[in-house]
Amino acid sequence: MAHDNIEIADGVDHQVAMVMDLNKCIGCQTCTVACKTLWTEREGTEYMYWNNVETRPGKGYPRNWEQKGGGWESEEHTQRTPGEIPSSEDYGEAWEFDHEGILKEGEDKKLAPEGGKPEWGPNWDEDQGAGEHPNSYYFYLPRICNHCTHPSCVEACPRQAVYKREEDGVVLVDQDRCRGYRYCVEGCPYKKIYYNAVSKNSEKCVFCYPRIEGEGPDDEVHPPACADQCVTQLRLVGYLDDTDGPIYKLVEQYEVALPLHPEYQTTPNVYYIPPFAPPQHSRDGETVDAERIPRSYLEQLFGDRVNDALETIERERQKVERGGYSELMEILQDTNPAEQYRLEVFDDV
Amino acid sequence: MSSNDDPDDVSRRDFMKGVGVASVVGATGATIAQQGMNHLELVDDPIGSYPYRDWEDFYREEWDWDSIARSTHSVNCTGSCSWDVYVKNGQVWREQQANDYPRFDEDLPDPNPRGCQKGACYSDYVDAEQRVKYPLKRTGERGDGQWKRISWDEALREIAEHVINEVTEGRYDAISGFTPIPAMSPVSFASGTRLINLLGGVSHSFYDWYSDLPPGQPITWGHQTDNAESADWYNADYIIAWGSNVNVTRIPDAKYFLDAGYDGAKRVGIFSDYSQTAIHTDEWLSPNPGTDTALALGMARTIAEEGLYDEDHLKEQSDMPLLVRADTGKFLRASEVPGLGEDVDDPEKVMVMQDGEGELRIAPGSLGDREAKYDDSKSIELDFDPQLDVETEVTTTDGQVPVRSVWVNLNEELSNYTPEYVAEETGVGEQTHQKIAREFAEADAAKIIHGKGINDWYHNDLGNRAVQLLVTLTGHIGRNGTGVDHYVGQEKIWTFNGWKTLSFPTGSVRGVPTTLWTYFHGGILNNTDEDTRSKILKSVNEGWMPVYPEKREDGFRPEPTTMFVWRGNFFNQAKGNVAIEEVLWPKLDLVVDINFRLDSTALYADIVLPAASHYEKTDLNMTDMHTYVHPFTPAVEPLGEAKTDWQIFRELAAKIQEIAERRSIDSVQDRKFDREIDLQSVHDDYVRDWATGEEGALEDDEAAAEYILEHSEESNPEDGDHITFADTVEQPQRFEAAGDHWTSDLEDDKAYAPWKDFVQDKEPWPTFTGRQQYYIDHDWFLEYGEQLPTHKRPPEQQDQREYPLRYNTPHGRWSIHSTWRDSEKMLRLNRGEPVVFIHPDDAQRRGIEDGDRVEIYNDLSEIEAIAKIYPSSEPGTVRMWFAWEKYQFPNRENFNSLIPMYMKPTQLVQYPEDSGEHLHFFPNFWGPTGVNSDVRCDVRPKGGED
Repeated sequence: MAHDNIEIADGVDHQVAMVMDLNKCIGCQTCTVACKTLWTEREGTEYMYWNNVETRPGKGYPRNWEQKGGGWESEEHTQRTPGEIPSSEDYGEAWEFDHEGILKEGEDKKLAPEGGKPEWGPNWDEDQGAGEHPNSYYFYLPRICNHCTHPSCVEACPRQAVYKREEDGVVLVDQDRCRGYRYCVEGCPYKKIYYNAVSKNSEKCVFCYPRIEGEGPDDEVHPPACADQCVTQLRLVGYLDDTDGPIYKLVEQYEVALPLHPEYQTTPNVYYIPPFAPPQHSRDGETVDAERIPRSYLEQLFGDRVNDALETIERERQKVERGGYSELMEILQDTNPAEQYRLEVFDDV
Repeated sequence: MSSNDDPDDVSRRDFMKGVGVASVVGATGATIAQQGMNHLELVDDPIGSYPYRDWEDFYREEWDWDSIARSTHSVNCTGSCSWDVYVKNGQVWREQQANDYPRFDEDLPDPNPRGCQKGACYSDYVDAEQRVKYPLKRTGERGDGQWKRISWDEALREIAEHVINEVTEGRYDAISGFTPIPAMSPVSFASGTRLINLLGGVSHSFYDWYSDLPPGQPITWGHQTDNAESADWYNADYIIAWGSNVNVTRIPDAKYFLDAGYDGAKRVGIFSDYSQTAIHTDEWLSPNPGTDTALALGMARTIAEEGLYDEDHLKEQSDMPLLVRADTGKFLRASEVPGLGEDVDDPEKVMVMQDGEGELRIAPGSLGDREAKYDDSKSIELDFDPQLDVETEVTTTDGQVPVRSVWVNLNEELSNYTPEYVAEETGVGEQTHQKIAREFAEADAAKIIHGKGINDWYHNDLGNRAVQLLVTLTGHIGRNGTGVDHYVGQEKIWTFNGWKTLSFPTGSVRGVPTTLWTYFHGGILNNTDEDTRSKILKSVNEGWMPVYPEKREDGFRPEPTTMFVWRGNFFNQAKGNVAIEEVLWPKLDLVVDINFRLDSTALYADIVLPAASHYEKTDLNMTDMHTYVHPFTPAVEPLGEAKTDWQIFRELAAKIQEIAERRSIDSVQDRKFDREIDLQSVHDDYVRDWATGEEGALEDDEAAAEYILEHSEESNPEDGDHITFADTVEQPQRFEAAGDHWTSDLEDDKAYAPWKDFVQDKEPWPTFTGRQQYYIDHDWFLEYGEQLPTHKRPPEQQDQREYPLRYNTPHGRWSIHSTWRDSEKMLRLNRGEPVVFIHPDDAQRRGIEDGDRVEIYNDLSEIEAIAKIYPSSEPGTVRMWFAWEKYQFPNRENFNSLIPMYMKPTQLVQYPEDSGEHLHFFPNFWGPTGVNSDVRCDVRPKGGED
């Protein structure tokens, strides 16, 4: 298929994509809960957060995932980078609580995770960030599977149980074929595949394919739950190759939506509008012309292109502030819900 | 079924390609050869042509349900978010925002979807372990968690017998009902309130008790509080979020703040910490805790001194031109000036100003020139030009008297707030705070979102007034995109009249200011300074503020005996918690909690009645954050023996009536109101529609909801459509009108914004002066030097040397008050137990590391929590996001155990002192606020780490 300058995996007709605007993420985790309630309350999935939101800078979820390898050595996609499997402590256990005993059976203890004080969890370092008041900084980073164009998890699976769907590029783990070897867990540099110790399968974000297929009793197409339920509507969902859609514009035209850790070379299909923040304070409490979030940190996350992206956003914001019109600023607001989710633009999906 | 199990062991790709040696051994520790790859069918290319996809039905089958019902949550969050509740196999499975609020202004961001992570997992509560499934009677001590199951008949009989005894003994005013926030579920609010009203019992205020009421609003604007709906934020081109952490506490509304930043608005955050809202602003100011008033007055000084104020607005709309006697500090009254005020009803309550020719003129619309507090027949529009700068002598009935305008007085006060002083006191730079003041003044439409960061301090009234002054000076009020929007708690309900008459059918209401009631019975008179004590007594004795039970004719005041609590967690959320537990609670012979879950109040109650959950009932839901009404409808039947609040109180009324009839109990003459308390008709009275007289009309919940809609101007105006309950089930309905308790009309295509009645229509403001009133000439205000807004440092409740850290208990992300504090899903997304946020230096100095168990303590108590290092905190403050349940602490103390009972005497007044039109006690409109930010503590590592 001709996709102009868009890179889509060979053999895939259309590629689902998501843009998340980090300037609208308030860390409320409605997405996390929407996902969890829908997909990961089955036995063995309780500890999993297919969608998580982590405070950055921070160790994230699972803990220190960025240091656990995976992905490709280069854009040639021939050599995979060795990876490791996070420990169960890195994810954190799904804590149990004894409401019944305390509230109904008179047990003299406090309501707290049973089995001792936990050391880590999916949102353990919430709001912590880095720096020092008044020049500390933090922001929230929601993460799902990136449904990559060059998925190293697919390559990692010796059973070929991980695949990318032809019609929409969604990456799935075949729950029949998988035997839970967890090569995919190692191979994913974003650590977005989780092992279900009960089913002995690995599981992951399915981009809510039953929802986007309209496979529910109402026969209606619904965006993924994390996007649909996002209270600030910071996610746009559609197809990367829908050149009339806002995602194409943000990614390809304005180049303000960037993949996380492009150096992992998997070519993610989730993109982020990078965060800006109020400027720093001087010692005597004056606002000074110094960026709060170090550029070097954002470059670590999003690569060098983050500089142009932030410049474009700033330029367009100023344009609007002066009373001008900006298509980019329009796209980033929730004034046109019909454009937020373009999941029914292709006949062959 | 796909055919993955078929034999064939060769995969096209070499799966080991590029993988390091370590990875050859798989996660299971087995080698590839051992892993049973021998019988696997070939896949040509898993990218784009995977053949075995039948298994995908596995997840498709999850995306399935049997029915969907519309409901919402009865929690005091002001969210009022409409949800679809999905039912599968007879169980509530999940919920998702209904996403169908109609748009009324296409230029604004879409109102959908409203919600948050808590609402997204209320379904967990429906069959949670902490759910109350049948009536429980305490068998151990209060708080022990030991119960026996009793039948509904036993429970209702025991309560009824107790109530009958109290009423017949004349102690009906010892029966209290505490339930907050009608807007979140007015039928449930009315259920117990209606019965208690029929019994002659006491209804508690909540807005002042929670320190949500901004006293500065009734003081300055004469009105309880009125706010723009959150959509109006987007209409501003300059927004200051001041101590209002909207990204945490107004999650469904945050979008309007965030999107405004892409629409050309500048967003400023004023928070002592680099808060969750500060991170998404364009400029953040970080004043030292408790110095917001100084900062606001510093900004006001810049605006006044540099002439950036809106002179026309001040002359017409504010008290700035009014003359004040320099000798007494009181307003000059028309009655004191020979020849003035001959045309007004009461010249003693009419203020005076000076026109351009130096002539004295009355201020039209002053209280003495109006029929009542609100009088839309009068206008404050002027046909002369009053002078702001007046300092002169006038001839009065007392002789020559020096007078000065409020403006001159104000400027003298503001002259204290030099840039140097403000920077020194607040820590906000000299240039920066002045720059923000100028930008604010010069914006077309500027707005301040004002919150608990200001309102929880002892001097919250001064903080409110100082912030309000900024919008008055600049004329940023009474138009869309302007004003001070105070979003803390929820003071009122759209469908006011229907709610009021359903809740209080007799019209004779024993309302009580809960802060005063609680602290009075908690022993504050023995636990406060002499000045506060004497002023509390004066206020009570003068009848400015009521306390129940009333003092009897012989001077004896009985203790409260009985408390019903529903839709709230009074015992857990009570400030002065130690005294409440030790002094107040033992006075109560019977505590009944009606609840879907065992919260701390339930745990410390005597009888707990099982209430229907939010997905098992019929009710209405609304908020002042938006202008829609939508319903609760039952997705499933109530679990176990649970019943709706309306049915529980109706059946209690029936039981009381049944016993009273059997015993032929005589009716009791109410000692305060002209009515008889008739227990033999209490159920008949409960279910009667008092508007039509129809007997038995209000038996069921939906009829009660329908009553509310029918009898409210907002949902059934004279000249508009009648919104029925069925309409709200179909889709959230935007209200038709705004009734008298709002200060603007509701316009079809515009977000609601307040104060237009006064600013645009020129009706007199409901204050003593008929204007926005910054000068209060009440004796107590003069005595404290608070006739004008002024900065005072917080009165420290503990010695700073002994307790060097400030103790702050802000509203957090992971609960709505105590609801969801006990939720497994929410706890798993923070740290599972109480956490305290500490600045890294404060922690290091005490040998505390992140994750350590610590004790936070002061002279009142000590509580245990896990330390969390929070680099964005200002040094010297610890934050414990509030509302942990008592049973989440090992010693059953809680976050409120460190908070003493204290209140500010200026909030106990009546003004004018003799008649009180401007300020008088009315539940949730005016009364002392339950402040809690002036508290100190220290923190130490807990010995014997586990």
